[in-house]
Amino acid sequence: MAFLTVDDVTQVFPLDDGGRYVALKDIDLEIAEGEFVSLIGHSGCGKSTLLNLLAGLSQASCGGILMEGRQVTEPGPDRMVVFQNYSLLPWQTVRQNIALAVNRVMGQASVGERRERVDEAIAMVGLIPAAEKLPAELSGGMKQRVAIARALAIRPRLLLLDEPFGALDALTRGNLQEQLMTLCQQAGVTTVMVTHDVDEALLLSDRVVMLTNGPEAEIGQILEVPFARPRHRLEVMDHSRYYQLRAELIGFLQQQRRLRQRRAERELELTLSAAETAAPASAAASTAAGRTAEAGAPAAATRRSAPQRLAGPASVRLGVIPGLDIAPLALALADNLFDSVRVRVVTVPFANWERLEERLREGELDVAITAATTPLALALGLNGGAPWPAITPMTVSRNGNALCLARSFLRDGVRDRDSLAALLRQRAEPLRLAVPQRHGTAELLLRHWLAAGGVALDREVTFSVLSPMAMQGALRGERIDGFIAGRYRVAEAVEDRQGYVLATDLDIWRGHPEKVLTCSEDWAERHPDALLALCAGLMRAAERCDDGGRREELTRVLSQPQWLGTRAAIALGRQFDMGTGAPPGELLAFNRWHADRAHLPNRAEGTWILSQFSRWGWCPFPSNRLELLSQVYRPDLCDKALELAGYPALRPDRHPFTLADGIPFNQDDPLAYLRALPGGSEPLVEPVTLPESPFLSSTSATPA
Amino acid sequence: MATSSPTTQLRPRRPSRVRPVLRPILPYVICIGGFLVAWQILSAILGAARLPGPITVISETWDPYISQPFFDEGGTSKGLGWQILISLQRVALGYGLAALIGITIGGLLGLSRFIGKGLDPVIQVLRTVPPLAWFPISLMVFQDASTSAIFVIFITAIWPIIINTAVGIREIPQDYTNVARVLRLRKGEYIRNIVIPATVPYVFTGLRIAVGLAWLAIVAAEMLKADGGIGYFIWDSYNAGGDSSSSQIILAILYVGLVGLALDRLVAWVGRRVARGAN
Repeated sequence: MAFLTVDDVTQVFPLDDGGRYVALKDIDLEIAEGEFVSLIGHSGCGKSTLLNLLAGLSQASCGGILMEGRQVTEPGPDRMVVFQNYSLLPWQTVRQNIALAVNRVMGQASVGERRERVDEAIAMVGLIPAAEKLPAELSGGMKQRVAIARALAIRPRLLLLDEPFGALDALTRGNLQEQLMTLCQQAGVTTVMVTHDVDEALLLSDRVVMLTNGPEAEIGQILEVPFARPRHRLEVMDHSRYYQLRAELIGFLQQQRRLRQRRAERELELTLSAAETAAPASAAASTAAGRTAEAGAPAAATRRSAPQRLAGPASVRLGVIPGLDIAPLALALADNLFDSVRVRVVTVPFANWERLEERLREGELDVAITAATTPLALALGLNGGAPWPAITPMTVSRNGNALCLARSFLRDGVRDRDSLAALLRQRAEPLRLAVPQRHGTAELLLRHWLAAGGVALDREVTFSVLSPMAMQGALRGERIDGFIAGRYRVAEAVEDRQGYVLATDLDIWRGHPEKVLTCSEDWAERHPDALLALCAGLMRAAERCDDGGRREELTRVLSQPQWLGTRAAIALGRQFDMGTGAPPGELLAFNRWHADRAHLPNRAEGTWILSQFSRWGWCPFPSNRLELLSQVYRPDLCDKALELAGYPALRPDRHPFTLADGIPFNQDDPLAYLRALPGGSEPLVEPVTLPESPFLSSTSATPA
Repeated sequence: MATSSPTTQLRPRRPSRVRPVLRPILPYVICIGGFLVAWQILSAILGAARLPGPITVISETWDPYISQPFFDEGGTSKGLGWQILISLQRVALGYGLAALIGITIGGLLGLSRFIGKGLDPVIQVLRTVPPLAWFPISLMVFQDASTSAIFVIFITAIWPIIINTAVGIREIPQDYTNVARVLRLRKGEYIRNIVIPATVPYVFTGLRIAVGLAWLAIVAAEMLKADGGIGYFIWDSYNAGGDSSSSQIILAILYVGLVGLALDRLVAWVGRRVARGAN
């Protein structure tokens, strides 16, 4: 058990106008005894709010704080605070100020003992000559030393520092930082410090916790500072990793600043355009025309309008590729789970992913259920074309893939990954595998699994892209040796005695995000109600999909021709046969749609996807990944939709997760993961161009 | 200094004939002198009987009022020193009571948001009542002119004390209360170490306003109904209507002003002494 645990803390302040300001959201943090942790972030990110919660000066609206297993409910001297502006009592001398604290805490001790403790504290910060002075007679640095002495004199278990050196000049600050470090180390006290000084954080801390912008600030990243103690400023700054860590911190802060600017700009623009639609039609029309001309994108510009809240249900064109993943959609339509006042869902089926993505980019589709990798791939422009402002408000399904090989491999004794790897080493021609989509989830999983088994992907395997519907035919025609696809499609191939199952995604990454909802940021902002109603409907349906008791009902819905058709649906009703001669296992395991935080658009998973894009050389690892991820992954929308659907909010798990290769993936240090991979080399890290919304660029040309 | 010296040196200054010691009081001498001259002229225009000039005032009241401030011929015929002391005694009683009760009530209002909020309208209404409006009712209640005068002083002086004390407590910087909360100071320690020192400057602002009001009220109250006191003296001189009565009134007014100023300065000085380091 950690010394100090911040457990799922959310802090909400009521506003004067009756609104609520969510300062902190879902903060989880564990601090070990004796650790020195810094909280860093832009002003207004809730650092001090968190510190006050640790001190017990305020109580979290949600969640709580445990110190040594006990909940923190009120302030106390075991959690001493050094306040931002020293908070010395101006009418008391240095000695009296310290004595006030010491007397309170050492009430039982003798006068002599207490006096000794006060003297010791004064001597510790070198203020013996100033002991009888009033704070007004001291310099800022001396006052801060008194405050630190007062705090340490009572031997707290936890020391909390709120921007302790913010108001001091550089020289004083430097000296005090070293002093503080020495004192904390001698006292062995667990310390949490709020700061916005990057060098200070690196010099003093064991870990730096970076908070994202408020409102709804959360932990953006945690940085371990590996320098040995005792530390000295010059040695630390000479350390080979110092500038790398520093760049990481500054990069984070810069990304947060740009995000904040972007958010402000978009809000302004939305208000402006809302006002515009309210203006007389002629004026609005002329403005729109002018804007269109400047933007040079007539089709796109004319379709845009301000959020329509009163104009009846918005018609949403939703692109899908029929498959088991879209079961929630099928069920939601069958059971009328979409709020018919807000949204009318028009499903547009596709046979391959390229067409679907193309239509989405062109604006022919409003939303699509895509592979989990697609939002990032679109935002990075991975499949050609400029970066496109994709966002994902929810994950639609998890799990569900299986790798199917032609039966001939079974005859060659390929029963697992090792035997496959051994065979491939001897074979002259590479293994021909089909994936449903370039840069898709399935391909990433497959590559990961094969590479972890020692298969040389560049020589021993070729990948081709096939429509999921065409895979079985290709296997039959021996144009491919195997494919990865939804398990029910694999089940069909197994039933036809063409293939057998070598692995399922449960062997590769249990609970991986499979399909997500993808749309453009513009569309989401223009149709917030429709989008949330769509998500909420899918979530309600997802819960029913997860319900084993409704399995037959679900199979019946899916057997309709526009979804899977009778044949595939029948496969769902059977025991899952691996096709290896082993007795059929459990009932064909379905995807996970709802349970266990399935809906959450998880940035940690996004980070893993980015790491794989980089691993296979498809793009450099983005140095501004946090900015990219916060733009693309929208747990805020997910939370709103969950609320609309009547479910509690979900929060991401910050713990590292492990895939088939057994190397833990820590979202805070993806580069270490990339280096640790078999055959891993120093990854190429570069800033990537983020998708500029066409909407923003068009308005920036409009004269104010 | 350094920046202004080039320009000042360009113009050679006329050597000042005024001695350096006199220079700081020069404005006072000139302006007060001007005031006295204007007064004298006004008196000459209006006639000395209607408005005696400064010279007349001094010459008419020199004996006994200026030269013997403490003569006592029995009854209410006393020197101005005695009259002032009588008034001061009343003020001391009423004001002392007001300070004591005012700080207590103010403290309660400041420490309890509930009471503070509930009583605020009462205080806001009562504090605007002019001092003399209280006089009849206090006469009815106490049936005694002297007690009534003291009560009027009390009721006039108490409001600024209450309000300032309450505000002072409410305005204790969050920093200090946070220190108290983190150290878990007991109520007594909290009041002793933080509330009182932090509130003292506010309380003394209230006390200083109150002493001015109290002095204002006593003169008025004594003029209405009292035996002895500087207010009584003024009214008595007016009623006597003797040759020198207007001079006596003017002299008494001057004394009232000087004493009021002295009281104000005294409270300010005490406040500074007590609140040392608080700001």
